[in-house]
Amino acid sequence: MSRINIAHEREVAAYFQSLGINQGCGDVQYRLIALVLAGNEGKITRFSDIRAYTDHVADRGSVASKLKTVFLLEGLAERVQRGGYVVTDKGLVAARFIEETSKFYRKSVRIDAIIERIP
Amino acid sequence: MSGLILNAAICVAIALSAFAFAWTLHKQDPKGKSAPSLKALIIFWVLVALSFLIIGARVIAAIYGNTSMDVLCYYISSIPLSFLPVPLVFFIVYVVTGDRKSSWGLALLFLVFGAVYLWFLFISELTPPTVTYWATIITIASDIAITIYLSALFIVPTAMVIVLLGLILARKIPKRERYRIALTLVAISLVCDFILVDALAIDCVMQVVSRIFILISVVLAFLAYHPPDAVQDRLKLREIHGDAFDDSEDSDTSDITDTEVADE
Repeated sequence: MSRINIAHEREVAAYFQSLGINQGCGDVQYRLIALVLAGNEGKITRFSDIRAYTDHVADRGSVASKLKTVFLLEGLAERVQRGGYVVTDKGLVAARFIEETSKFYRKSVRIDAIIERIP
Repeated sequence: MSGLILNAAICVAIALSAFAFAWTLHKQDPKGKSAPSLKALIIFWVLVALSFLIIGARVIAAIYGNTSMDVLCYYISSIPLSFLPVPLVFFIVYVVTGDRKSSWGLALLFLVFGAVYLWFLFISELTPPTVTYWATIITIASDIAITIYLSALFIVPTAMVIVLLGLILARKIPKRERYRIALTLVAISLVCDFILVDALAIDCVMQVVSRIFILISVVLAFLAYHPPDAVQDRLKLREIHGDAFDDSEDSDTSDITDTEVADE
């Protein structure tokens, strides 16, 4: 997985929020956590690895809460040690969906721009 | 003779309707980034109008048997026709990329193609006009001029229009926008195609038929921007605004499910 662009993820999340989708692809924390976990597939992801991205958009407590109440509870990630997590197959599906939503956003923005330029 | 009069009348009708359409576009307020593409569209329709005004004069010259005027009008009408793809290419490239520099670059390339075509047209020999019941036909003796006219001036811009049309129709966009954009692009594409058929027509009836289709295409382009009420109702294109609705007394949303859903 390529390096995560926080500004872009924030932009995509804002776009989906503008469509009334506030959870999942419209939640920048969810997006970043899913992408960081998937990027470390086959390795242990430290909470500090996640925070390296999420600290720019949310405080430590809410990220920890999201990780616990969404990712661990729904089985998208598994806690393997203190502060260490691994992504599950379900987590990889979630990350793939997040990547698809980025593509959808790019196409959508592109077509909106084309329509805007037609008189 | 009456066939030629009909031909001239169709040419004048195309010129007048294209001028009228260009005028309505000129009166339109450009929204956001659409100002350059609107100007290109206006220039395109003005060039169509100018071309057919001169072609109409050419047919009238043929009615009176003035061969030299017929040939002169043929040469003059070739000038706006050969530069017709320039605003069209600018329009398409600008709409797709949003980059004015690359749009100007490609438009200039087509300007060069037009100039080269005119050069070969003016140095090549023309067959004397063949005046028939329906049309007056002049054939160019230059293969290079015909090749440039066919490939560079008309097939490439028409292909660009079709690609843009496909790009837009493949997406889910509001019906009103889809109707306007699709009809405009189809009209432009039809105008280009039938101008090509008109220019290459060797059969006199083919020329008149292609001009009738050009007239229909101009009307289609006009209808794209000014859909009649019947079409708006039939295709459900009418915009519904809530401006006149006072919702100050209706701020409580608790009964939406009980009343409004029940109404449906």
